Order: sequence, then C-alpha cells, then structure tokens
Amino acid sequence: MGVNLTLITPELVVTGLAFVVMIISLLVPKDQKKGLAYLSVFGLITTLVILYLMIDVQGTLFNGMYVVDAFGSFLKMLVVLSSLMAIIMGVQYVEKFITGFVGEFCFLVLFATLGMMTLVSAGDFITLYVALELMTISFIILVGFGKRIFRATEAAIKYLLLSAFSSGVLLYGLTLVYGAAKTTNIDGIMEYIAQGETPPVLLLGIVFLISGFGFKVSAVPFHMWTPDVYEGAPTPVTALLSVASKGAAFGVFMRVFLKALPGNVELWMPVIIAITVLTILLGNFVAIPQKNIKRLLAFSGVAQAGYMLLGLVAFSTVGVSAALFYALMYVFCNMGAFGVVIAFSQAGGSDEIQDYNGLWKRSPFLAAVMLVSLLSLAGIPPLVGFVGKFQLFKAIMEQGYVWLVFVALGMSMVSVYYYLLVAKAMYLKDPKENTPIKVPMGMQITLLATMIITLFLGIYPTPLTNLATQVAKTFF
Amino acid sequence: MLVQYTIIGILFLGALAFGAFTIILSRLLQPHRPYPEKLETYECGIKTQGTAWVQFKTSYFLYALVFLVFDIETIFLYPWAVKFQSLGLFAIIEMFIFLIILIIGFWYAWKEGALEWR
Amino acid sequence: MITLNHYLLLSAILFCIGLYGALSKRNAVAILICIELMLNAVNINLVAFTKFLTPEVLTGQIFAIFVIVVAACEVAVGLAIVIAIYRDRSSVVVENLDWLKW
Repeated sequence: MGVNLTLITPELVVTGLAFVVMIISLLVPKDQKKGLAYLSVFGLITTLVILYLMIDVQGTLFNGMYVVDAFGSFLKMLVVLSSLMAIIMGVQYVEKFITGFVGEFCFLVLFATLGMMTLVSAGDFITLYVALELMTISFIILVGFGKRIFRATEAAIKYLLLSAFSSGVLLYGLTLVYGAAKTTNIDGIMEYIAQGETPPVLLLGIVFLISGFGFKVSAVPFHMWTPDVYEGAPTPVTALLSVASKGAAFGVFMRVFLKALPGNVELWMPVIIAITVLTILLGNFVAIPQKNIKRLLAFSGVAQAGYMLLGLVAFSTVGVSAALFYALMYVFCNMGAFGVVIAFSQAGGSDEIQDYNGLWKRSPFLAAVMLVSLLSLAGIPPLVGFVGKFQLFKAIMEQGYVWLVFVALGMSMVSVYYYLLVAKAMYLKDPKENTPIKVPMGMQITLLATMIITLFLGIYPTPLTNLATQVAKTFF
Repeated sequence: MLVQYTIIGILFLGALAFGAFTIILSRLLQPHRPYPEKLETYECGIKTQGTAWVQFKTSYFLYALVFLVFDIETIFLYPWAVKFQSLGLFAIIEMFIFLIILIIGFWYAWKEGALEWR
Repeated sequence: MITLNHYLLLSAILFCIGLYGALSKRNAVAILICIELMLNAVNINLVAFTKFLTPEVLTGQIFAIFVIVVAACEVAVGLAIVIAIYRDRSSVVVENLDWLKW
C-alpha cells in the first residue's frame, strides 16, 4: 500500500504537536504550562510555512477520501492563522479566568484546528463527517471548560444540543445522497449527477445538507445558537469560533455544492439565495439593538456569513475567489475586534458596550484597532472590507442579480450604523474611570499586525486577489 | 415469503394465548386473601427502603462516561481483527498508532482523577 | 418480502420520532436520547443502502461504525456538561437555561 504521506505533512505536524502538548501538559505542574502556548505557536507557524510552500501541490490520498488542492490549502492557512492568533491572544485570558488550564486550551485548539484542516480537504462523506465532529466536539469542550466563567456551561450545553441536532440532520442528508448516488465519494457523486438523474431522495438529501451546513456557517434561520454561544464562551474561543469554524464550514459547504452537486444547480440555488437574503437582512437588523459587544459581533458575524454566501450564489470563479478573499479578510478584522474585547475584559472591563465609553482616553491603541476592524467589517474604503465587498458585489452583478446587490449594499449601510455606535461610545463619550489599560506584549503585536494588514490589503489587495483567483480555479 | 412470516405470526399468537391462559387460570384457581405484608412491593424478601427515584453518586456517572468512550472505540478493532492477515503490516502499525492515541487519552483521564472514588 | 423501502420507512419514522422528541422535550438528557434516535435512524439507512444497493462495497457499513463511535463521544461530552450544569443550577430543564438571551 503506497500512501504518499508527504501530501498531508501539515496535518501530521498539527497532530503530532497536539499530542506532544497533551503529553507535556500531563507531565509539568499546573502553574508552569505557559511554555506550552509558545510551543503551540511555534508549531503552528511551522505549519503555516509548510502550507504556504505546498499551495500548488495537488493529489488525493486513501482512494480519494482525502483531497489536497489549492482550495484546501488556502483555507487551511486561514484556519491555522486564526488558531495562531487565538492562542497568542488567549493565553493570558485563560491564565486569568480559567487558571491552570492553559495546556487543555492549547491542545483542544490544536485538535479543533486539525478537525477544520481535515474538513476543508475532505473528499468523501466519511472524512467530512468525522472531521466535522472532531471540530465540533473540540469546540464544545472549549466553550464549556471555563466553568468559573459566568454562563459558559449554559453556552456549552446549548451549543452541544443544537450542534448534535444539526449534525443528525446533516447525516441523514448525507445518507440520502449516498443512497441515491451509491457512493460517498464527492467525485463519484459528481459523476452520478452528471448523468442527469434527480430522484426525489437526492432532492431531500440536498435540503438536509443545506440545513446542516447552514447551521455550521450560522446562516438564518439556523443561526439561533450563534449569539448565545458567542456571548457565553470564553472570548478567545469565541474569536476562533467566529472566524475559523465559519471559514472551514464554509469551505466544505462550497466543496460539496460546487464539486459534487453542480449538476443540478437550478434546484438548490433558489434555496441558497433565499437563505442568503434572510441572513444578510436579519443579521444586520438584529445587531442594531444589541447592548453586549460579543452579541453585536455575533450578529454582525451572521450578516458577514450572508455576504460570504454571495460568493456561492455567484457560482463562478470570480464569486469563489471573492468569497475566499472575504473569508481571509474577515479573519483579520474579526480577530482584531475580538482581540480588543479580550484585552479589555482582562483589564477588568465587562462586555457591555456602555463600558467601552471613552476607551480612546484609556487606551488609544485599543480604540484605534477596534475602530479600524469595525469600519473594515462595515466595508468603508480604503480598508480591506471594502475591497472584499466590492469583489463580491461585482461577482453577483456579473450573474445578473442586480436586486441582490442592492439588498446587500443597503444592508451594508445599516451595518455602518451599529458599528459606528460602538465607535461613538469609544471616542465621544466620557469614561467612568481614567486608569490606562495595559496590553500584554504578544497581544499588542497581534493587534498591530491585524490593523496593518487590514490597512495594507485595503490599499494594495492585488497579491491576495491573485492568489484567491488562482485558488478558485479548482472548481470551474 | 409471506407464508414463513405467517408461521411467526401463529407462533406469536400461540405464545400470547399461553401466557394469557396461565395468568387467567391462576387468577381463577387462587385463594384471594390479601394482607398488608403481601401487598407490599417485593424486593428479594427484604423490607423496602425509600422510593425507587433515588439519586446516584455522580462518581458512578464519571466511570460510566470513561467506560462508554473507551468501550465504543473497540468497535474499530473488530473489522481489523477479522481481516488483519490480508491487510498486512501497514494495518497493524496503524492499529497500534490508534491504540497509542487511546492510551494517551486514558492517561489524561487517570491523571485528572476520573478514576478516583470521590 | 422486506424491501429497501421498508427499511427506509422504518428509518424515516425513527428519524421523525427523534426529531419530534428533540424539539419538544424539556429535559436535556431526554433531548440527547432523542438525538441518539436520529443517529440510529441514519445507521439503519446506511446499512440498508449498503445491503440492497452496493452489497459488494461496504462503504455504508464503515460509515455506520464511524457514526456510532462519534455519537458515543458526543454523548460522553454532553453528559459531562449536563453534570456540570446540574451542579450549577440543580436542574437540567432546558427552559430554565435563560441566562443568555436578548
């Protein structure tokens, strides 16, 4: 049995790293585990470098159950990058609020990363399901393990029940598609559908698949878990959940629908369009009255998921490349915003927006990062969010969905309003106390990096656009 | 095919009739003299204590959880055990990697005190 | 003669019972049980498809094994969280989990 294991070097590195971290965390005393975070960060940087070198490598492993291609490598880089930032920003938070569990935090993040990396490379429904559950179960534990964090267990049980429920629905859909196509392989299903048959079983399966994946990317009407889990979970976990898990689930969504089911696009496209419109509308409108910054970011995340779905609606190379660009840009913006929330709560602040009053006077740096991230999420030029939205709108315009562009554009205006509410609190109101906020070194570097990247890619997005276009050619 | 199922149906009816017959017959033949001790819930001849709805110690629960996880993983060993001669060395190495991963998990559970009685 | 349709019907009924229970039960443990029912419906589907459609390729049965294992892991984590929340609130009724809402 010749298996070319070099194709999965990044996954093997992350697996090895996770087990090494787990074993070392069993051996060292509870209060000396900070080194494990450095080890994980170092390992993840190595993985990132390997992934970058491997971006052009293509191949399949294990009889087509595992696919290595540019699309997967791009999303793997996205996932590894966000885990890296989550660990750097989260270590001190975990030390402060969940004392003694830094080791667990690191290896659970690594296992979740492994799940997400496998997920975007899945070439078969079995791999897909196992990877999805590895990701979900790691996240459930991560959400709930801060028992002393107020409401974390409640968030965990909500996440657990709803995600188990949704994966049951997803699985039922997978089996129905398997029953129709007589294979679980994504390429095999594509061949079957190319023959032109669409039995009712397959249709039912596709509906179940849409709802299952819709849950993972938190699209309306499957978004109900998002605000509660985001609010209750430890903030570094929320940050990771909001970018990496969404990115990975989005990747597998695209792979299944663009690779396995493009043959009957006219059947599922109306459903996707309806979900996209609902997601953009509801996410943006419900974000307006939010009083808690994490809930606000949760609903803004729902809306952003809607924008990313536009890339699927466009159903073209331009659309996929725009969605990939948007997903990566979303990592930097959201990580920046959540990083500020983490730093602020470490300094003793709560997550209520009114507590952010006058943040500008207490820490100009944090306020600036937050402002740049939020404005970029709103899509204000010259920040990267503008470029991302512009590309997405251009892609769907080319397909003739002019009304959809107007809906999305209008809702972007609405989003500016609630993002500016936070900015107003930070810059125009007076703080309750004037103590300056100290930001730890690693956090400072990460936040600065996200801010610079957001600005830089906004002014000069060409390299990333080219990369995304090259990657998107995997599908068409 | 249907005929074979009819036989099962007849057997089922026969079993039902036999059970009903014995219960009704004993009800007809038995002397009916109840007294308090006789009407009590029967529990191996010992006097009953409390209600059936009692709380168990969560220690049992923890053992059950650890047992559940490690027990269900053996399901992967069965297909491997049936076929391992034709699968060769590669499958043996793979299975040992799998077992090592399980052992690390078990080590973690042990170290964190999941196996201690509390 | 028992055909594929009978198995699919059984699994659909089982799935619907699980779905109904998961949506209507109030106890977290009961919801977990109902989700297990849904997953078992999936397993019946998988095994029946393998038996009737591709008897020589056992993909579906292998898939069923994975589903069983992953479901066990999910339940183990779920019950652990249920214990944690019971220690917090002395209740596992999901309607009482209302600290997070808008």
